[in-house]
Amino acid sequence: MINFIQFTITRAFLSIVTLLIVCFIVFSLMELVPGTCAERYLAFKNTQGSQITFEDIEAEKVRLGLDKPFLYRFGKWVSDIAVKQDFGDSCILRMNINDLLSGRFVLSLTICLVALIFSYLIAIPVGIISATTKYVSLDQSLKFISYLGIALPNFLVALCIMLFMTVYYGDTMTGLFSQEYENAPWSADKVKDFLARAWLPIFVLGWNATAFALQTVRALMLDENDKLYVMAARARGISGMSLLWRYPAKHSLGPVINSIGFDLNRIFSALPVVALILILTEAGALLIEALARSNDQQLAGAIIFLLTATIVFVNFVTDILLAIMDPRIRKGVMGGS
Amino acid sequence: MEVSIKKKEAYYTATQMQLVRTRFFGNRSAMIAGSILLFMIVCSLFSGFLSPYDPTIAGRDKNYENGAPQIPMFWDENGFSPRPFLHTLTKYRGADTNFRWVYKTDTEKRRYVYFFVKGWEYKYFNYSINLPGKALDFTIPGLTFDTHLFGVEEGGIHLFGTDKAGKDLFSRTLSAIYISLAVGTLGVFISFVLSLIIGGISGYYGGWIDSLLQMFTDAIRTVPPIPLFMCLAAFAPLEWSSELRFFFISCLLGLISWPTLARRVRTHLLSERSQEYILAAKMCGASSTHIIIRHLLPSFTSYIIVDLVISFPYMLLSETALSFIGLGLREPVNSLGVLLQNATKADVLLNYQWYFIPVFFLVVLILTFVYVGDGLRDAADPHKTKN
Repeated sequence: MINFIQFTITRAFLSIVTLLIVCFIVFSLMELVPGTCAERYLAFKNTQGSQITFEDIEAEKVRLGLDKPFLYRFGKWVSDIAVKQDFGDSCILRMNINDLLSGRFVLSLTICLVALIFSYLIAIPVGIISATTKYVSLDQSLKFISYLGIALPNFLVALCIMLFMTVYYGDTMTGLFSQEYENAPWSADKVKDFLARAWLPIFVLGWNATAFALQTVRALMLDENDKLYVMAARARGISGMSLLWRYPAKHSLGPVINSIGFDLNRIFSALPVVALILILTEAGALLIEALARSNDQQLAGAIIFLLTATIVFVNFVTDILLAIMDPRIRKGVMGGS
Repeated sequence: MEVSIKKKEAYYTATQMQLVRTRFFGNRSAMIAGSILLFMIVCSLFSGFLSPYDPTIAGRDKNYENGAPQIPMFWDENGFSPRPFLHTLTKYRGADTNFRWVYKTDTEKRRYVYFFVKGWEYKYFNYSINLPGKALDFTIPGLTFDTHLFGVEEGGIHLFGTDKAGKDLFSRTLSAIYISLAVGTLGVFISFVLSLIIGGISGYYGGWIDSLLQMFTDAIRTVPPIPLFMCLAAFAPLEWSSELRFFFISCLLGLISWPTLARRVRTHLLSERSQEYILAAKMCGASSTHIIIRHLLPSFTSYIIVDLVISFPYMLLSETALSFIGLGLREPVNSLGVLLQNATKADVLLNYQWYFIPVFFLVVLILTFVYVGDGLRDAADPHKTKN
């Protein structure tokens, strides 16, 4: 047990180090964007009619702490996030990023996680069928579909479905809510409305992830199926589903759990473009807004940090899960027990 | 009996590359995909010769905007012709068409398609280098051609139709495939060099250098790539020239996608460096560089090639996604993502379906790449005996 706790602590420590490196990369990127927050803010004020002098910019820089050295500001950014969970203010929107993001990020996360779960629910049985089927044509066509999942990028799928819906049903199916619920507080009706619309982004985001997961599962099953222990089990007279679930499927589960983090990464990666097409009002769309339109470095940094932090957390959880589930890793962790 | 022994002998004396080649040629789906891919690459390389019009705004057809594809035919109600021809179209609008421009087909007037005609000029090996300072600007003239595979004498021939500015979609698609492949190649090359250096150092030296570099690589791998791309692509100022933008986007693709390959290189090196032949080389007094270049790199060349081919479609997809949202390449450069941008409106699906033709080529290009990559991976895997 002590070994296990030690393992968990080491993993947690490593995750935090990864997160710190990511923080540093993200923060340096934010710094590299031409222009500072102070200049942006004052440029905005300038358009409102007030005269801006050089001294004003300097004063604003001091107020925002931009006169301090790079490392100091980096430390402050990180410690604000770690201690106060505060991402500071958005440069352009003049709002606290926490208020801006709180609801939306949870919404994005829900959609992505549901998409992830669905893709695994489909990919695992279909992958097993593809790997073990007697019919070559079935395997080949499943393989073709999974390749199509890569070749048809999900923004293309989103685009096609949306155009199709617009032309033949008159409803664009865009957005996460219909108009009457857009700004309404959460209620049973709003949840219903949300579910009626959320299937499209979930399907589109899950589409690629399913294809990838399918390939992983298929390859793993093919590998395991030829191994001696499976042959031994077959020789003992176990066959069919009970053989599959007891031996190769169980063994392939470990690497599949390991790949969850990367599949989530892929879904997050697809999120902004899909959000742009489907006009979702969540964090992904905000990211595009922040980067492509307004160059809002604070907001963009915060979103990328949150996405990455989620992935790091999921990786941490899957590592622990694997240590509990897989006897081989458990033995390594617990030390021979 | 004689034959089977010979076969066995050939099998056991074959080099690694020969084995890979035999296995790859035996894989039917990979071979089909490979031929399609090769065909597309050759077409894109000769895009200047194959396309009847300049793919940029210079080649637009003012009299045929948003025009439907024109397919050359051999016969109509007036009879058969050995030379393919098109009917003449005239632009017309009036009260009966609700004052919208429509094209009327005049089946009496035939326009014949001619081959190897002279048309717009295209150049190969033409580079102009603009370094700071007047004296350093110079241009390599390269080779200029103006012969095209086909064309018509009057009016236009638009196999895939035209877009809203009247640019020929067939020519644009060909040049877009070329540009997208070029961006991908440059990106793959940059990520290849980076991953060789970083993965090589990490795998060969091991120890704390390895742990440090691996931590860094893993951290980059956890950041979702497209948001990171977007973040970096937003640096490119709007006033940059299209060539500079092209180069910048390729560099970004390379800079972000190296970690996966670097990890593979490291794993190979870690398992190879404890082999006896490396020890032998060390005992002969060979230097580290010599061992890496002469012994370690050749030991996994086939793996690297396979990984490069596999990573290619992701480069194409990333470029497409970036250009699609307007952060990647922009007009006047054609790329598949730029062409996709035009197909985002419901109007297009109802009236101008031919805008989707480039989408088809994108999907085929990526599918063939994935199939070829998969075939190569299977062929390069020495443990795989069947398939």
